[in-house]
Amino acid sequence: MGPSPSGLRPTESPSPYQLRYKFWSSPSRNPSSSSSSSHPCTERRPRERARQEDRAKMVKFLKPNKAVIVLQGRYAGRKAVIVRSFDDGTRDRAYGHCLVAGIKKYPSKVIRKDSAKKTAKKSRVKCFVKLVNYRHLMPTRYTLDVDLKDIVTADCLQSKDKRVTASKETKKRFEERFKTGKNRWFFTKLRF
Amino acid sequence: MVAAKKTKKTHESINNRLALVMKSGKYTLGYKTVLKSLRNSKGKLIIIANNCPPLRKSEIEYYAMLAKVGVHHYNGNNVDLGTACGKYYRVCCLSISDPGDSDIIKSIPGEQ
Repeated sequence: MGPSPSGLRPTESPSPYQLRYKFWSSPSRNPSSSSSSSHPCTERRPRERARQEDRAKMVKFLKPNKAVIVLQGRYAGRKAVIVRSFDDGTRDRAYGHCLVAGIKKYPSKVIRKDSAKKTAKKSRVKCFVKLVNYRHLMPTRYTLDVDLKDIVTADCLQSKDKRVTASKETKKRFEERFKTGKNRWFFTKLRF
Repeated sequence: MVAAKKTKKTHESINNRLALVMKSGKYTLGYKTVLKSLRNSKGKLIIIANNCPPLRKSEIEYYAMLAKVGVHHYNGNNVDLGTACGKYYRVCCLSISDPGDSDIIKSIPGEQ
């Protein structure tokens, strides 16, 4: 099984660990470095073209305006929309996370025979703003095009009153959107 | 029948291609890393064993649908998939991020 390592001095007797390490760090394992050294004009271009094709296929889907479902924590089971995503994390949070604005309390079902006062009361939405790890979100195929970028910012979570004003503003925007009747999936409670 | 019976020949070719990916490409094994690779769009092909729990299988397929990444349902259980990867443990799902010298990404989703 032991493959002969290439650049080993004859005086050394290689330990099994060294043998294994040499094999796995041999040039065949890193194709990019080996191909760049030999025939740079011919071998690099097909690989670059392949890489561009592959790049075109992969789609990043955790983007702003994506509707997601929060999976953990106090708001588990609630629907939210990604406002801003931090793929590589920040210094405080070294993991991929995103700022979401979600629904704490869904609007109730409005029926036709409700009076205007009752409709207004039933259409109320209570919102939350939170930084959530990607692992605690389930992305969906839905999007919600509400402009929350200027209201919900990274620093609005630092103090309680900033958070409250952000929630109040998103509540207003969500309620407007609910009243138009669009994005009905987002405003219905997830049954589980 | 469309794709019901997987012949022995194609099954062996998948194993050969997987072995080549293991040797020369980049991959991750396991459910958590598969989801991670899908989220940051590093995965190019996902392979799921046939005894993967159905909820997990549909979750991986949904993520892959969002990321527009191909999913291949391996014709074997997690023990077989682990053996095909050359590992001594069970592998339920794996994600290939760089196929290396293998043509697994071009050939396998086309077959399905």
